[in-house]
Amino acid sequence: MLEIVAASLIAAGTIFFVAGTVGLLRFPDIFCRLHALTKADGLGLALIALGVAILAATPGAVFRIAIIWFFVAVASATCSHLIARYARQSGARGQHD
Amino acid sequence: MRATSPMRLHASARVHSISSADSPDLPLRSSGQKVPALRTPAAPGRRRGLPRFLVSLLVLSVIWGALTDWRADALVFGVPAVLLGASVAFLLPQGYAWRLSPRGAAPFALWFAVQSVRGAIDVAMRAFAPRMPLRPGFRHYDLTLPMGAPRVMFINAITLLPGTLSAEIEGHTVIVHMLDTRIDLDPALDDLETQIRALFALPQNTEASA
Repeated sequence: MLEIVAASLIAAGTIFFVAGTVGLLRFPDIFCRLHALTKADGLGLALIALGVAILAATPGAVFRIAIIWFFVAVASATCSHLIARYARQSGARGQHD
Repeated sequence: MRATSPMRLHASARVHSISSADSPDLPLRSSGQKVPALRTPAAPGRRRGLPRFLVSLLVLSVIWGALTDWRADALVFGVPAVLLGASVAFLLPQGYAWRLSPRGAAPFALWFAVQSVRGAIDVAMRAFAPRMPLRPGFRHYDLTLPMGAPRVMFINAITLLPGTLSAEIEGHTVIVHMLDTRIDLDPALDDLETQIRALFALPQNTEASA
């Protein structure tokens, strides 16, 4: 039973990773692409982490998975902000030139 | 001399407004006098060094222990790494003090989980939809949360809400990129601000922020 729940969560997570990649390819500009990568991939990772945590045997492994999820979530939001800021600043400079 | 200085400052400010190019040094001096008054309210809120070092030491030790399953032979690397990390936290410029409210944490986590799932489903639907309904654009939002952790958390969380992405900070305004500018930005971010005020045990802003 737990295996089925875990497999469903991992499968759903994979769908969100595919959605993020489709958004990355289809969306028109860098800002929209960042939406796809941060939000869809973020939930994809959370679902896969949850599924793997259900299968994991030890509390230590669950804690490690939680730490991985936490740092990836913080890093992805921060990186997308930095990329968007750089795109805005370099784009504004390009318009003046 | 001392008593007349406010009047002189006032007069120089008026001169400045009439002919700004003539005397650039006078307004600089008057703005330089304002700085200490602005800086003093932030000073009592700063954290002290030693407690911060001990907290970093404890947090890093627990993380290292959990990562290595408390194996004794891993301490060869763990003890120097934890000491180094805690020293870096000690040596870095001190941040602003903050505290979490245990009563605000659970509602925030639940609300945030629901919002990030909604955000991911929203962007996934848009990516898969054949006609791809996007109307991207930028909107501004005034930051009223205090500097430090509450503000950083707010700006990072914007990116995980449905359809919004924090793109740039200009002073006390955050520039938000939206996938669909037909949706109103303010209610969602006001909600987020209320949640973060509850999480950090800050007083709620009674007046609606513009």
